[in-house]
Formats: sequence, structure tokens, C-alpha cells
Amino acid sequence: MHNFLRYPRLFYTFARNSLIRDMTFRANFLIEILSNIGWMAMNLGFYILVFSYTKSIEGWDQYEFFVFIATTMFINSLVQGLFMPNAQELSELVRTGGLDYALLKPIDTQFMLSLRRINWSSLGNFFVAGILLAYALQHLDQTGFHPVQYFLYPFYILCGVLILYSVMFSLAATSIWLGRNQSLYDFWFYITNFSRYPMEIYGGNALGSSLRTIFTFVIPVLIVINVPARMMAMPMKPEYNYLATFAIVATVVSLVASRWIFKRALESYRSASS
Amino acid sequence: MAFIEIRGLQKSYRVYQKQEGLLASLTGLFHREYRNVHAVQGIDLEVEKGEFVAFLGPNGAGKTTTLKLLSGVISPSAGEARVMGFVPWERTNEYRRRFALVMGQKNQLWWDLPAAESFRLHQQIYAIAPTDFDRTLGELTDLLDVGKLLNQPVRELSLGERMKMELIAALLHSPEVLFLDEPTIGLDVIAQHNIQKFLKHYQEVRRVTILLTSHYMKDVAALCQRVVVIAEGQIMYDGSLAGVVDRFSTHKVLTLQFAGDQIPSDLDQYGELIEAVAPKVKLRVDRTEIPKVLAALLAGHTIEDVSVEDPPLEEVIADLFVQSSEQAGKKSKEVLAVGHSGR
Repeated sequence: MHNFLRYPRLFYTFARNSLIRDMTFRANFLIEILSNIGWMAMNLGFYILVFSYTKSIEGWDQYEFFVFIATTMFINSLVQGLFMPNAQELSELVRTGGLDYALLKPIDTQFMLSLRRINWSSLGNFFVAGILLAYALQHLDQTGFHPVQYFLYPFYILCGVLILYSVMFSLAATSIWLGRNQSLYDFWFYITNFSRYPMEIYGGNALGSSLRTIFTFVIPVLIVINVPARMMAMPMKPEYNYLATFAIVATVVSLVASRWIFKRALESYRSASS
Repeated sequence: MAFIEIRGLQKSYRVYQKQEGLLASLTGLFHREYRNVHAVQGIDLEVEKGEFVAFLGPNGAGKTTTLKLLSGVISPSAGEARVMGFVPWERTNEYRRRFALVMGQKNQLWWDLPAAESFRLHQQIYAIAPTDFDRTLGELTDLLDVGKLLNQPVRELSLGERMKMELIAALLHSPEVLFLDEPTIGLDVIAQHNIQKFLKHYQEVRRVTILLTSHYMKDVAALCQRVVVIAEGQIMYDGSLAGVVDRFSTHKVLTLQFAGDQIPSDLDQYGELIEAVAPKVKLRVDRTEIPKVLAALLAGHTIEDVSVEDPPLEEVIADLFVQSSEQAGKKSKEVLAVGHSGR
């Protein structure tokens, strides 16, 4: 078996086993899907309400903003579906000593710990996002769009997912040092709270622009949704090229940093009593 | 070079000394006292290919820590180890493909899925060829008699059945070295016996090298030619199981059956009276005194039956643990220099 084929195959088996498991508790599975979709529908309803009072939010009109929301949903569903359950479990594995078994396996430990559980019910939102995006694009005036934007959109979604993954996994890895770190859910809430608005709203005064600088360049969560959303909602403009380039740099740096933090943390793993 | 080679292996932890009570917990937020626990204190050991070695020792002796070090799960504070030429804590994939660790108190199978699904996953993780996988799985399920349980969710299996599945999961990739940490813990006598039988057979056929820790002397007696006694992170004894008794027991048990229904009243002078139900008596006698005592007894009384036995192994080991922990208790008062540090 070729080495580069091994990992996709493993991922397939992880995904398959997770689906089998989720299906075992099918009522729970359906409720999770429905509550996820319900939550996003309420969000959407809120913005429809907002747009009944105003024509645009800092340059984003209704359908452009729908593209933004669809992008949020794409990225959140991927991160929550693929990485969230694993990051949460990591803290538990450290506390109970279950990490031992992961360390014994002759495959990349970070890969295994990042992807072994997949939360299929969160991926339900991915399809809802697809419908929303198609609807928004139908009403959107796309004159002036460069064809390459349609290809860059999924690419930047991937970048966004990887940045959020890196931040999340690094945070989860700190539980190896701390013995326990269950602040992940809170953290996720804070981060997505910042990232789910267009970055233009963090302008104007000193507080806004300093938040914008921190969450763009230090913990790059603002670009996670903003860069791909703009790519699909508006024609490309040269003044945003630097941000698009930075997003690629930020993705690479985040991934490398998460790996470094994880490896450093593993060195101090103590393995709970058996 | 030996198959497994350990030199001066040490592992220490810094443990937060939590005081009882709420107030102490609040103080602990700002000022913490730490204690250094020396789980393994300089172990030297060589194990040859195909040996079945038991680690014996009381709780907290450092047995499990040693196995974790050899599996590369944790890194040592000092010293070195090589298993099949690999440094375990480098965790190379080559090494990890060639050994397995089974922990009786932790499980690695997916709880909500049938064991068969976890085995498939192992096949891919270890890159086991399909034909090898089918053959090995067939053999193991036959030997352990769990063929019918493969498709039942793991959470619905009994503890003994689950342990068998854990063993299969660990052996699917045909490891050359096997670390077993309390594999029979919590199992009933029959299940224990089944696991022992399986391990014995498996080791004889495959000639794998096995290190086992267990609290059940029966496991050890049934399986291991060589016993390593560890207490307080150090090796106290390394040799055959029978040798433990020779080396550490100072007494033998003398059983006498007297003629008639009377027991002589002067038996105290020969040794410690353990049991006296007429006409039988059990005496604990110093090993060196046995010939003299026997001669005197036979000369002075009419005796119908006599036997001289070593004390039960459990007893010898238990005594040994008590002795070693008393010794270590003296020592650790010196080691127990409490480190103060703010946080």
C-alpha cells in the first residue's frame, strides 16, 4: 500500500466508523442535525430582519451578506464536523491516560488525534450552506467577477478551515501541559463571535481597529471567513490582494505552529495512572 | 546486544501536594507544594528474544511506568533503553509496528462499535496485508473462542470478553514484543485461566518476547520462567520464580500428624505454631533448623505422617513487599525534601 494513499484510506475508515456509530443512536443523530440547522436558520432570520431596516452593512448588501453567512456555515460545519469532537476528546484522553494508545500507533499522531472522530450531524449544515449560497448567487449581480474567483473560493474556505483547526488543536494540545483544559467550547464561541462579521465593522474608532489588527495578524481568525466570503460576493479589487496573500501565509504559519506546539506538549506527557 | 536492554533508567514526576479542605485549595491557587516522586530509580535489565518475564511488585512500585517507558508513551528522566535496537521514546513507526502494549485498565476499542470494525481500522493503521489479516484474526478468534462476538458492540461484551478482544487488537499485527500491564485484572477465575492458557500457547508457538505485570501470582506461576521483583522503583530480585522462595523465605512449614488424638504440649520450642487441630499440627520452622527439629520430633513422639513445604508464594512475596517498603520508607524520608514553588 502506498504511503500517500494510506492516510486518505484511514480517513475514510474513521469517517465510516463514525457514521456507523452515529447511526446506532439515530434519534440523537437526527435531533443534532435538526438543532444545528435550526440554529443557523435563526441566525439567517435575524439578518433578514436587520436588512429590513437597512440596505447595507458597511458595504455588504443583503445578498452579498448571504454569501458571507453561507461561507460562515461552510467553514463552521467543516471545523465542527471534522475537528471539534477530536479536539474535545484530546483533553479527555490526556486526563484519563487514553492518549497512551494513540501514541503507540505507527501513524502520524497528530493526524490520528485530529481526525479519528467525525461528527456527521454537523456536516448537515454544509448542505444548507450550499443551498443558501446558490440562492444568494442567483440574486447577486456578478458582472465584473473574474472566473478565477470561483476557484479561489473553495481554496480560501480550505485555508479558513485549516487556520481554525490549527488554533483549536493548539489550544487542545495545551491540555497536555495543564492536565485538563475544557475551555474549548467557550473559546470556540468567542472566536466565532468575532469571525462571523465582516471585518469592515471593526473600523472607525481605536477599539475597533485594534481588535481588527489583533484578530487579523496575531490570531488570524478574522480572515478565516472574510477572505473567502469577499472572494465570492464581490469583484476582486487590488487593495484586497495583500489580505488574500496574507491568508495563505497565515494558513501555513498556523499549521506549522500547531504542529510545533503539539510536539512540544507531547514531550511533557505524563500518562495518567493505569 | 540483548533484545531488550535497559541501563540506569529513571523517571521522576513532580506531583502537586494537595491539602485537604477548601481553604487549602484556595491557598493552592497561589502557592503550591510539590513533591518529587521517583517512580523508576535506575533500572538495569536485559531480556533475550523469546523470554516471558514477569514484573512483580506492590502498587506504585514502578512496573507500569517501566512498561510505559519501554513503549515510548513517556520519556525517561535519565538512563537509556533499546528494544530491538530502537530507542522507544523516539516513537519511530518502524518500532511501533513491531510491538504492542495491552493495559488491563484502559481500552482502545471503539466502545459503540463491534470489535470487528476496530480490527479493520487496525489493519489499516498497521498496514496489514488482507490475507495475513484474515488468517491472524481467524486464528486468534478460534483460540480465544470469540468468533460469535465479533459483530456485537463492544459495550455489550462482558469484561472477560472485552479483554480477549483487546488482546486480539494488540496481536493483529503480529508484534515481536508484547508488553502486558495487568491483563487479567478484574476477571473471574475462569476468565483469568482462559487468558493465561491463551498467552502460554501464543508465546510457545510464536516465540514472542513478553513482559508482563500482574498482581495475580497464578498468572506469573503459570506463565513466566523469569521473575523480576520491583519495589520503590528498583529491582530487588531477578531470577526464577522458585528462586524467590529460596532467596526470600526464611521459614518452611512442617505438617505433622501424631498417632492417637493427643497433641504434645511442648511443640513451641521447635517453632511457631500456625495451626493445631488434633491430631494434625502445622509448625513454622526456621529453614536451617529443619533437620534438627525433625530428628528431635521423630525421636520423641510417634508420628504417622510428616511433610515439609515452602510457604505459599503469595506469602513470601507479600513479606518481601512489606520489607522493601519499610526500607524504602526510611529512605524516602530523606528523599522527601519538599520543593517549594509559587505558580
